[in-house]
Amino acid sequence: MTRYYEDVELGDEIGPLEKIATDQSVSDFCDVWGNTGPSRFTDNESAQAEGLAGAIVPGIMSMSYMAQLLTQWTEGGSIKKLDVVFRQLVSHNSPLRLIGVVTDMNQVDGENQVECDLYLQNEQGDRMVGGQAILLLAIKG
Amino acid sequence: MTAQDVNFDRSQLGVGYPGGTFVVDKDDLLRYCKATGESDPLCNDEEAAKAAGHPALLAPPTYCANFVRSLGRPDIKLNFGRIGFHAGESIDIHAPIYAGDTLTATTGLKDVYTKTGRSGTMVFVVWETSFSNQDGQKVADVQESHVRRE
Repeated sequence: MTRYYEDVELGDEIGPLEKIATDQSVSDFCDVWGNTGPSRFTDNESAQAEGLAGAIVPGIMSMSYMAQLLTQWTEGGSIKKLDVVFRQLVSHNSPLRLIGVVTDMNQVDGENQVECDLYLQNEQGDRMVGGQAILLLAIKG
Repeated sequence: MTAQDVNFDRSQLGVGYPGGTFVVDKDDLLRYCKATGESDPLCNDEEAAKAAGHPALLAPPTYCANFVRSLGRPDIKLNFGRIGFHAGESIDIHAPIYAGDTLTATTGLKDVYTKTGRSGTMVFVVWETSFSNQDGQKVADVQESHVRRE
């Protein structure tokens, strides 16, 4: 099923997508990333030695979650641009909620662009990561 | 403190460097999908990807950001702060990336600037990287911002 440009309106909500970055998933991510060994991302002691409360989720892992929120919502569309700001450190093993809202729509140079604001929130509703994206959708017929 | 006061090798600003060559390995893609919980069949099932018209497994949109850590970059000799964090990341996607692609990166220092907040002065270092595939097609531009605090 495809989400079409004509079916989108300003203010439409995107998501939510619920994620939890477990210790194992972060460790697996770091292995693929090439950031192996104890670090602020995989080991609480290493994180605390740097003055952090505990191991944190890599920023680009949070960004991958944002991308998932968007690709699931576009249903066959694509991401043209994704821009995120890591406002606060994201902890392991805590529920994360990713949401977005459509803020603008433009047909430019043959592209059907949908702009949106995005947030990654913790359980308390704090916005740990913020972002903006431009998505490309198909048009009907 | 302003950006003028920050000690770093200013000759590096705007200079492009070859960042390296990276193969988009199919097994690494699958491991990445498992680690991030990416369930899109186009990224996990080669038959599904090909049935949808793709030549191979499709890399998730931000996958090439993983390669940025391994880029060959010069030491800009930044003399500030005792701890650093990833402040932000931006990716402009120009073309899909597939398993089996070979990406070539060029990277460079875009900007160094300061901000002062409640916690004191922070120095932001911004790098830009362009990735092109084996056909010379640009696939993505990635901009990362790293912050150093006192």
